[in-house]
Amino acid sequence: MKKKILATLLSVSMTAALLAGCGSKAAEAPAAAEPAATEAPAAEEAPAAEDAAAADFAGQELSILVSAGWMDNRYDATLARFEETYGVTVDLQTIPADQYSDILQSKLDTGTCADVFWIQSNPFAIDSVIVDPESYCIDFTGAAWQNLMPEARQASCMSGDKLYGLQIWHNSPEYVMVYNKTLFDELGLTVPKTYAEMKDVCAAIAAEGITPWFIPGADGWQHQLSFFQVGGVYEEAQPGLYDALNTNKATFADNEKMLEVLDQYKELSDLGYFGEDWIGTDSTNMANEFGDRNCAMAMANSSYIKQIQEETGTSDAFGLFLIPLGDNDTFPTNPAGPTMFGYKGSEHPDLVSAFFDFVCTTESLQEILDNSPAYTNLDMNDPAIEQHWLPEEEEFMNSVDKSKMGTAVLQTGTKYTNDYWMDFGADMVSFCQNQIKANDVLKNMDTNRAEAAKVAGDTAW
Amino acid sequence: MNKKRIYPQWFLLVPLVLYIVFFLFPGLMGVFYSFTDWSSRSSVNGLHFVGLANYIEIFTSNKDYASGISNTLVFTIISNIVKIIPALFLAILLQEGIKGKGLYRTLFYLPSILPFVIIGLVFKSVLNYNTGLLNGVLEFLHIGFLKQKWLSDLNVVWKSIFGVDAWRGIGYVMTIFMAGLSAIPKSYYEAAEIDGANFWAKLRYVTLPMMTGSIMINLVFGITYGLKVFDIVYVLTNGGPGHATEVLTTYAFQLYSNGQYGMSTALNAILLIITAAVGILVVKVMSRQEVQQ
Repeated sequence: MKKKILATLLSVSMTAALLAGCGSKAAEAPAAAEPAATEAPAAEEAPAAEDAAAADFAGQELSILVSAGWMDNRYDATLARFEETYGVTVDLQTIPADQYSDILQSKLDTGTCADVFWIQSNPFAIDSVIVDPESYCIDFTGAAWQNLMPEARQASCMSGDKLYGLQIWHNSPEYVMVYNKTLFDELGLTVPKTYAEMKDVCAAIAAEGITPWFIPGADGWQHQLSFFQVGGVYEEAQPGLYDALNTNKATFADNEKMLEVLDQYKELSDLGYFGEDWIGTDSTNMANEFGDRNCAMAMANSSYIKQIQEETGTSDAFGLFLIPLGDNDTFPTNPAGPTMFGYKGSEHPDLVSAFFDFVCTTESLQEILDNSPAYTNLDMNDPAIEQHWLPEEEEFMNSVDKSKMGTAVLQTGTKYTNDYWMDFGADMVSFCQNQIKANDVLKNMDTNRAEAAKVAGDTAW
Repeated sequence: MNKKRIYPQWFLLVPLVLYIVFFLFPGLMGVFYSFTDWSSRSSVNGLHFVGLANYIEIFTSNKDYASGISNTLVFTIISNIVKIIPALFLAILLQEGIKGKGLYRTLFYLPSILPFVIIGLVFKSVLNYNTGLLNGVLEFLHIGFLKQKWLSDLNVVWKSIFGVDAWRGIGYVMTIFMAGLSAIPKSYYEAAEIDGANFWAKLRYVTLPMMTGSIMINLVFGITYGLKVFDIVYVLTNGGPGHATEVLTTYAFQLYSNGQYGMSTALNAILLIITAAVGILVVKVMSRQEVQQ
């Protein structure tokens, strides 16, 4: 009997709870409808419309998939303001650089990508990395922010005549040699302009117990810059090479200048000029290595000087020069960079669009620039942005012959090359460890490019 | 109670359907796709039958997928040896009346519950040549000559992977052995002792014969784990330095990431064939063992 009473009481309470649940929803409905009722007249007033839009997004979550180093802390303040403005939360998924492309591709292929994803874009990257942008990317054609990007950068964000990406990147010299000017002066060294001079400089620095050229091989993506950033010398040695590579009329394999650069790189590695364990060293401690004078040179962006000085408090002066492998004297022109895309499968595409609009406001752009130790400028057509060019950058740019700035770096000037960046880096390591020959590194790149071309249905292959 | 001990056949239906839909069918589809040019462009270009082209590519490509296959097999053998033998002795040790054995059991088992990503992050830091804890301790103990480039020297990197894998897996293997050990009647050991058997004789004539079930379980788990190894290699070396520690699954993952699904499934089909062959072999050996017992 007691059990029956208990069961009845429980049933009654459950029913009451159920009804209460329904009741609360029913009660909410008119409340939710209230703003809608007031929306129509308020829509004419912009701030009220923004509030309404904010209310529309309230409670939603915007997920962002990005490789380490592409957003860093520079977006933190902007993301916080975005969250506050729209009443949303941002789920920032930062993936280690060496795993990013694999993870992104898997997520795209399995339809589980974040609302916003990033790729290292260039004029060929959308078709070769994303492959089918119409299926994966939100079409932003006609977006107000399109012309904020210089035309050269727009090419990295478009496929055909459709705009998919947003590239907010700087226009500083990218991945040239950053060196400790004070140390060079103390040792009586001058900036090397050829490989032979570079070798002598390295020998003099190594004799002081300092790592001449810091290479963080464990990152997996940095050491190959020494090969690709000097693309101009390959083109100079064989005019028309880029076009020939893009139409499958030339190969990397057996290219004498490329072989020369790879051999020079290995020679420096064998001589220990990259440090005791460059293959197992990552870039986490690079700024401190500079600050502590444990290294004298590294490939980095010009803005890295600011980062070294701010993070380590060193009073040493730093400068820039061109990577001298292959006796390079060409500037690494590169209208490419990390680029964000909206995922077409997103559950809230309007929120994604709002995010893109939001980061393109002058306030956000200035915030991104100001909060980044690695940026000295933003390459955006917004005169209201206050740029922070370094004197070292201006000095370096003035030192390079303008006629040597025309050729893009190899990875973005040729099709399907950048897609195999990590593979090439692994092959370079294998070459430096005597596992394969220099020409095998180049042959593998040809094989990879041919496979990518086949996948892309490129008729030239 | 239990009037009918034999359950009706249709009880099998649900698990069988689930198995076919989620295991057998995708497996067979994978084998089918390995004979096609399935890629990220297939939605645009269509899917075409290419025969054995993917398999020929695997064994003739510059990329040396064959070394990935051999690395996988070597990993399977060595990782089992370095886990099973120490785990067996640890289990015996902790089964005996050692002080604080409960604590040791927990400590040994703990690494097994850690995610691979965490293990990778921790050991990448520990094994760093310049700043890692291991080389730091060696320096501190004035035995700096033992310092190694744990994750970048070709002669050492596999040993590091085996070491970390053993650190993670020994506790798990040990637990299975301990379950097996606890099932051996004490009287067998007492009888052996009366006959004058020492530790090794007891191990040879009592423990090991009575532990064949546990050994087989560990072997089956170990072999299947070894053949499909991915996580530990991916988080520690990502196949490097260069391609020195690439295994079948890291290559398959790279190919899949590059949109070459056909090639990727061909590699996985090879893994399926190897796993099936080893599986059949182990099952046969196990059946023979059961018959003998």
